[in-house]
Amino acid sequence: MDVDPSKILIRYNVQKEKAQTPEELAAEQYPKTEPAKSVYRAIFEGEEDDVVEGLKKAIDAGANAIKLIDDMLMPGMKVVTDLYDEGIIFLPNVMMSADAMLAGIEFCKEKSGSAPTPKGKVVCHVAEGDVHDIGKTIVAALLRAAGYEVVDLGRDVPVDEVVAAVKAEKPMMITGTALMTTTMYAFKEINDRLLEAGIKVPFQCGGGAVNQDFVETYELGVYGEEAAHAPQMADMILAGKGLEQLKDNFHMH
Amino acid sequence: MTVKRYTEMAYTKADDMLFGNAKYPVKTKLGLEVGAGYVTAEVNYAPRPDTGQSKEKLVSEYRRLTTDIMARAVQIGFPSISLETEHVQQMTNNPTWGGEIAHVQKTIIEEYNEEYGIKCALRHTPGDIREERDYLALIGPKYDLLMESFEAVADGGADFLSIETMGGKEVLDYAILRNDMPGLIYSIGCLGSIDMTMIWQDIAKIAQKKGVIPAGDTDCSQANTAMFIAGGLLDKNLAHTLAIIARTISAARTLCGYEAGAKGPGKDCGYENTIVKSIAGVPIAQEGKSATCAHADVMGNLTMQCCDLWSNESVEYHGEFGGTSVQCWAQTLSMDAALMNVALNTGNGKLLRDMMMLSDRYRDPQGYILAYDNAWKVGNAIAKNGNDLYLRAKAAAAETVNLLNASKAEGKLQMSRFETNALADAEKAINALTDETDKFMSDMLAKYKSEIAVFKPEENYKF
Ligand code: B12
Repeated sequence: MDVDPSKILIRYNVQKEKAQTPEELAAEQYPKTEPAKSVYRAIFEGEEDDVVEGLKKAIDAGANAIKLIDDMLMPGMKVVTDLYDEGIIFLPNVMMSADAMLAGIEFCKEKSGSAPTPKGKVVCHVAEGDVHDIGKTIVAALLRAAGYEVVDLGRDVPVDEVVAAVKAEKPMMITGTALMTTTMYAFKEINDRLLEAGIKVPFQCGGGAVNQDFVETYELGVYGEEAAHAPQMADMILAGKGLEQLKDNFHMH
Repeated sequence: MTVKRYTEMAYTKADDMLFGNAKYPVKTKLGLEVGAGYVTAEVNYAPRPDTGQSKEKLVSEYRRLTTDIMARAVQIGFPSISLETEHVQQMTNNPTWGGEIAHVQKTIIEEYNEEYGIKCALRHTPGDIREERDYLALIGPKYDLLMESFEAVADGGADFLSIETMGGKEVLDYAILRNDMPGLIYSIGCLGSIDMTMIWQDIAKIAQKKGVIPAGDTDCSQANTAMFIAGGLLDKNLAHTLAIIARTISAARTLCGYEAGAKGPGKDCGYENTIVKSIAGVPIAQEGKSATCAHADVMGNLTMQCCDLWSNESVEYHGEFGGTSVQCWAQTLSMDAALMNVALNTGNGKLLRDMMMLSDRYRDPQGYILAYDNAWKVGNAIAKNGNDLYLRAKAAAAETVNLLNASKAEGKLQMSRFETNALADAEKAINALTDETDKFMSDMLAKYKSEIAVFKPEENYKF
């Protein structure tokens, strides 16, 4: 016995696939000139050595090592994250590209002896009592890939520790992940403690157990459904958007 | 307990595998036979969050939900039922809590058994508490506490002992986000198997001492992590072709429990269980379309194909229009079971099996490989290499790639370019692997010791 699957299901992922390959789509975004083009390609391919190789050439040709971070590494990485946001490439590609880009940043820092100013700082954590940390790891990786400095507090993080880190690090945004209905209440507590201390940092919360209704019950909370929403929200904060606008944008349900 | 690796298949051909039937059924003291010709519902539940604050509140929650389930089972006329209690952490960390809850549940179940003759089972699944905040602590004081918990629930009246062990998870979490094929084989197939072989000998010993059944494990912490990261058709976090390779490797790992003394029924969320059953012949629990209260996946009907217990994975205890949540799901599951039992009793078992299998076979690469005929082939590849943990995991991965590649000729399973590219990369990585176990183990040890800060091989795997 067998069945004609087209009569009972649709593989929408196959149906929706673009005619062009991800490689072709990425190449369309590369600059025309070398060594920038090779650096972009090396980031896309996740080849650390080739990234460093290209950077070396640029520096030998007189480029400022720190400026290369903004001029080549960040835009090269943006090609990758844009393709991920559009659903054209997969997360492991982003992870490997981010590793290659970060290797490039380290190299530029070494060469110049100075540190670049990151776009902003984000504190990430998994709720107290919860060890489900893969979603958080993805969120942190995408934030780093987008050029943000991430203070990753890890998993099962006590409320006190989150509050202390926020006071010490003064981030532009906090993320929380919870996969259990029993642990997500810690977010509310963090919210209350921050407000008590007069701190009003947007607090994006996501993870399997968390839903928009719950996040709406505390002032600083913004619901984050997919990991990609974290860098998107950070970008909006950088662009001057306030809590209400963030909620407007991310509370889609 | 001695460990005996499987090198032969329990089923000589895939077509002999069928729901409600296992080569080696098990029987509880309250008369429930699993795998002996009929399917039974296994109801799973979680206490409401605020009841976790004290033992009294938890005990009362489990008393109520157990009574609810049993009452519904006799109201609708179901001949048998199994209950599974997956511990919340407090119940394992305080063995007397888990023990008392098992006792309270068993007392209720026994009353119903006595009054109505309904055949019953109670499974307890302590949480794998063997970790510190930042790293796994598989061996040491937490191990001892976990064993105490098993003793306590067995004393309390649990018929089946289960657990979802986490060995290898620290490496899997790293490898899975990097499409790292050797990492999957090492974390699931080697580290996971080493840990399971250790812990299941001890669980089997406790079960023997207490006269209960050491049931089985699931690779929830690794293969299900991969399945959830892979997500639905449109998600872009992991290719489904890689998720199914993680799954087939996990069959070689979950098998270790039975090699160390477990008898089944295997745990519901082990989607690798059809493969495991083909090799070990043990009864299995499965979940699928009637576990949508707990999660979404792409193979809701197919997983019924060879199940012996049919589960809803987990539902929070609360009210619904149709009764409490556990009553609703107990009824849904039992109705599914009734349909399967009609098929068995009218000689239509294999027909229904094939209909359920075909509804998901071409939905996704995961369903394609877990379809019982392909699952059997993967099982055969594992058994042929049964004596070597690394080689059998590698064989499972290689056979999965072969089957998916071969499917292209038939053209019924459509794969996206992402999925075929990931498959081609996986194939390359598998072909490049050594056949020497010692070399693989030492290479991987060196690699992940330097790349993963939380990997503590000496403490956790006695390397
Ligand atoms: C893998 C898994 C595990 C692994 C975790 C491995 C790890 N390193 O994370 C292990 C085996 C350790 C585990 C343990 C347990 N688990 Co578990 N686990 C799961 C499982 C199967 C998948 C979770 C997962 O990784 N999903 C994939 C990731 C990528 O998804 P995600 O985190 O949600 O992230 C995505 C989005 O939500 C978003 N996101 C996440 N965070 C944020 C933040 C921001 C700011 C933004 C924008 C987005 C965002 O980004 C991601 C991608 O887009 C779920 C099943 C399910 N239905 O979810 C159960 C599940 C979460 N576990 C559950 C349970 C009960 C447990 C245990 C208690 C079991 C036990 N008895 O011991 C323990 C808990 C221990 C503890 N104290 O935490 C229950 C929770 C039920 C509840 N109470 O709510 C679930 C739902 C299973 C079930 N149906 O019963 N588990």
